[in-house]
Amino acid sequence: MSKEALLQIRDLTKIYTDDSGEKTVLKDLDLDVEKSEFLCILGPSGCGKSTLLRCIAGFEEYSGSVSVDGTQRREPGIDRFMVFQDFNQLFPWKTVINNVAYPLSLNIKAPKAEIKERALEALNKVGLSGCKDQYPHQLSGGMKQRVAIAKALALRSPIILMDEPFAALDAMTRSGLQKEMLSISESEKNTIIFITHNIQEAIILGTRILVFGQQGHILFDEKNPMQRPVTPASEGYGELWEELHHALYEGSLPAKTSK
Amino acid sequence: MNSKKKHAVSVIARVIYVIALLVIWECVARSGILGPRSSLIFPSLEQIGEAFIKNFIKGYAGTSLWIYIANSMKLLLTGLVIGILLAFILSGLSMVSFIFFKIYDLTVSVFDLLPGIALLPVVIIIFGVREEVIVFLVVHAVLWPMSRNMLDGFNATPRIYVEAGKNMGLKGAGLIFGVYLPAAASYIVSGLKSGWARAWRGLISAEMIFGIASSPGIGLFINQMRTNMNNAEMYATLLVIIIIGVIVQYGILRPIEVNTVRKWGMTK
Ligand SMILES: Nc1ncnc2c1ncn2[C@@H]1O[C@H](COP(=O)(O)OP(=O)(O)OP(=O)(O)O)[C@@H](O)[C@H]1O
Ligand SMILES: [Mg+2]
Repeated sequence: MSKEALLQIRDLTKIYTDDSGEKTVLKDLDLDVEKSEFLCILGPSGCGKSTLLRCIAGFEEYSGSVSVDGTQRREPGIDRFMVFQDFNQLFPWKTVINNVAYPLSLNIKAPKAEIKERALEALNKVGLSGCKDQYPHQLSGGMKQRVAIAKALALRSPIILMDEPFAALDAMTRSGLQKEMLSISESEKNTIIFITHNIQEAIILGTRILVFGQQGHILFDEKNPMQRPVTPASEGYGELWEELHHALYEGSLPAKTSK
Repeated sequence: MNSKKKHAVSVIARVIYVIALLVIWECVARSGILGPRSSLIFPSLEQIGEAFIKNFIKGYAGTSLWIYIANSMKLLLTGLVIGILLAFILSGLSMVSFIFFKIYDLTVSVFDLLPGIALLPVVIIIFGVREEVIVFLVVHAVLWPMSRNMLDGFNATPRIYVEAGKNMGLKGAGLIFGVYLPAAASYIVSGLKSGWARAWRGLISAEMIFGIASSPGIGLFINQMRTNMNNAEMYATLLVIIIIGVIVQYGILRPIEVNTVRKWGMTK
């Protein structure tokens, strides 16, 4: 590796301790994520994907190190912004625009009008400027997730962490949001780490795809060779899907046929 | 449309209910079936109405009921402000220190069970028969239920709000004001409601037990009416107490609720 990666994870080990004893969820995980990468992580349930994001975000204690731009980060901060799976991550006591503007006002010194302006701009990018004065409880699940994404866009967080943000949405809303994520990742410079259970979603969105086994053991890690926009009809889609499916379900890779 | 109709029906039903009660009252009053004491227990509506006006114009001992009300309100308000502020400060501190939380939680649980009136003898020994006693009882009435609700509200704050708050850079006091307090809004509103109700009742009871010559209140007024057998005036004063309660309930507490937790969709 010639250049330092934007996000560097070294020897990350996470052990949960509860009544039933200790449980090693992540073990000696090393991972580099480059700037502007759209990293999709697949993995069986319980393999530690959410735990990894929570460690990166600084919500958990762990051993090892997480560095952004070469500096260690242990506490939460806006350079690593989390979009949760739970729709109820917006503050119900703030309007949509204020949900986006509030984190900004906490972090940048600028006149109120300018902050509102920037928040509105972010809402525009997710197509929700029309709902700016509504309260979260008046929005659908998909709209709430869009607002949560707008928060990260407004903050211009270098790294956006997304933990199955679309998993609880219906197929139509989900594919709409995938399209939006695609255009966002093309026009913005954010690095995105995106967890999903859906192989298709990973192929459509990711510029790089990872498959985790137990304890965050990396089974598959490759750049996505497909040209965007990807559809199931795209050349090579089937092979990649097979490969990921196999890694996911068999826990190992099919023997690659040499050309 | 249907819900509008339902609402109209419920209003009509309640109006009919109240009118029926008044009619029964008046019938009993006129029939005199309770013998010689009948006019004491059931003064006619006309008498009560006249007494209502007389209370404000003539009052008692040359002082209008307005003055008594003003005195009570002044003490009530002082106590409410002190009690609510203390509840905010002490419950807020409980979020900062776990040890403090445990101690305060225990304190709240214990004192919440003590009726203010039961503390009256001790409080009078400490303060003497002075206004401070009433203020103390109002603080006692509002502080504990308010704190109980706030502590429960803080502890029930969804983890995701706290993490979202930390993610955007909130820490310590910022987290309390920015996340815990608003997240506990519905608890705080119900704390206000029960705190107010207890304070209002506690105030009247305390005033009835001992009047303070320097600032006589509504409770004292009622007691005076009772000792003088001015029962129509006494009922009229009870009416005033109910009216003030209704005004606070629908004129202050209700708007607070509508403009916060209801607007935010946070009511349980
Ligand atoms: N707070 C906790 N205390 C104890 N164990 C936990 C805790 N949180 C998670 N775990 C355990 O850690 C393991 C990994 O959990 P994690 O949520 O990271 O999995 P995941 O890969 O995100 O799964 P899913 O795909 O189902 O979301 C699980 O076995 C879970 O039981
Ligand atoms: Mg998970």
